[in-house]
Amino acid sequence: MTPNGALVFAAIIILATMVSRVSGLLLLAVLSVLFVVIEVGRHATTVLRRALALTIPLALFMIAVWVGVVGRAPEDIAADQPGSRLSALAYVAIVCARLFLIVAITQAGALRFSALTPLQFVKTLRMPLTFKRLAVLTLSLIETLHQAIDRAHTALIASGVITRRLSVRNLLHGWVLVQTVWLTAITSVTGRMRDKWPIENTLNLLDPLLTEQKAPRFDARDKTWIALGAVAATVIVWADVHGAP
Amino acid sequence: MARREFIAGRNFSGRSQALIAQAKRFGPQTYFIGPYAEAALSGLSSMVADEIELYRAKGNAVPRPSFGQITVDPHRKPQSLSGGEQVMLALHCFSVSAYTALAIDTALEQLDTRNRREAFGYLDEGAFDVALTDNRTRPTQWNHLELTTTDLRYACDWDQLGAAIVPNRAPLITIRQLSFSYQPGRDIFRDAQATLEPGRAHRLTGPNGAGKTTLLKILVGALVPRTARILLDDVAYQPWRSGNVALALATQNPDQQWCGATLREDMARRRAALAGRGIQKSLADQRIAKLASTLGVSSVDQHLYELPLAARKRISWLWPFAGAHPWIMLDEPTIGQDDETCAALAHALALFCEAGYGVMFVTHDDGFAAAVPHCVLHVENMQIS
Repeated sequence: MTPNGALVFAAIIILATMVSRVSGLLLLAVLSVLFVVIEVGRHATTVLRRALALTIPLALFMIAVWVGVVGRAPEDIAADQPGSRLSALAYVAIVCARLFLIVAITQAGALRFSALTPLQFVKTLRMPLTFKRLAVLTLSLIETLHQAIDRAHTALIASGVITRRLSVRNLLHGWVLVQTVWLTAITSVTGRMRDKWPIENTLNLLDPLLTEQKAPRFDARDKTWIALGAVAATVIVWADVHGAP
Repeated sequence: MARREFIAGRNFSGRSQALIAQAKRFGPQTYFIGPYAEAALSGLSSMVADEIELYRAKGNAVPRPSFGQITVDPHRKPQSLSGGEQVMLALHCFSVSAYTALAIDTALEQLDTRNRREAFGYLDEGAFDVALTDNRTRPTQWNHLELTTTDLRYACDWDQLGAAIVPNRAPLITIRQLSFSYQPGRDIFRDAQATLEPGRAHRLTGPNGAGKTTLLKILVGALVPRTARILLDDVAYQPWRSGNVALALATQNPDQQWCGATLREDMARRRAALAGRGIQKSLADQRIAKLASTLGVSSVDQHLYELPLAARKRISWLWPFAGAHPWIMLDEPTIGQDDETCAALAHALALFCEAGYGVMFVTHDDGFAAAVPHCVLHVENMQIS
């Protein structure tokens, strides 16, 4: 499988997930499980773990708000119906299932190519150079933020403003961490843009790097997964038009 | 013959600007290595392997030898490398790139003795144009540009600093069974032990990447060891659980220690964090303003990020010098600092020891270390000896 095939397949699944209802989500879940097991293999548990780690907090929050406080689903409110906690729970389940599938397929796509470095991955994509540049800069920004979080966290723990463990102090001073992270990130970016990048024309290095090798075409495996994804998406849209649950 | 330009001068003499001007005179094919990660690495790579690949010449390689062997894991994040490792990586990237000239702003001060010798050997080969500022050497047979003026706005008053020291009594720190790793199977410390005595200065030495900064981060509670038994005067101490109550750290890159945008904000947050521990007097606004003034910053409302780097580095010592904690920890305090500042800092550290503080500092600057009476803790091969 090529990164391009994985990207297209993931895009189809994500779009289909966003328009799916219960039956569609079940179909996509089956397809996603197949993809994860066949393409990701031993990293499948990592995919599951990460998807759950992102979904569970959202699920708990939404259950508290929609089931606990509001007591009915948004559709009930829009239709001015009395609704029920059960319909609110169904709504939360669908939203969380969508998020779970989106995270899982994104993680599976990333782990399928974990042997490639991020730059190698971007280099193999078949897309206009501008988008590749944007992809590299986006990854760079994510990395900068990640580093800023680490630095700010260390600074605030060392000074005693926050603690490593869960604490009341962290609740009270969490906003300081957010402010410090942004200050650190902005300083990092401006630091680069002030000296290093203008002297070296560092950004000009990207073009020859991203165009030096021709991106591979779809292989047979790509085509199989894309076809399966397209069929699933078509079935979901057809079922939606015909009023399937 | 390639040009080799050395730019000398005191702090705030305009060395960095002169270096950048020289880099521009070399032409657009000049590679730049600044004193910290943001100015040493491209910032475009998420892995060491990508950083090298980004800079590797594409079809128009310049004939010159490659610099050094990159021994770190190619999948590591460049930003997670130690300062010295980042500089070695940057030099390697230059050596495989199509750049024809190199400008280095005090970055070589972060290298250990062996790496520094290797780096200077590479620069001395004369295979490319190079401009350099460095506080620890004056390379012979280079062209020298001597900058004699200095900006007095950031002048320090070292005598006042000595007078402002509040006596303290540092506890004895005992470290036993310290084991730590960032990744499974790659221990930085394995069953290491050390004893840090109050009223003395301790210099942490060791090769780049050995774990010197890691040890400081463990002691302030920012990293959690796999195993460790740390005692403060025979009382168990786990800063990663209970918070840091004994050690004030000034980081290698000063921008990694601020808790606010201005000095007033930074200190107010630190003061609030230590509320109830009886040290409010030493952190009072008036005293902090006076200390800041002795370290060359005239207003506590000064935006920290707008100060020149050398001034930020100096003012980063304010927190350890304020006396809130009895142990002072300085990570590479002399980077980017001229001889005069280094000598004054060494004298100040000796005064802090006399006043009962414990001092721990990491430095590759033997000249500075020689001016501070100290004992050595060597970090290498997962042990502290």
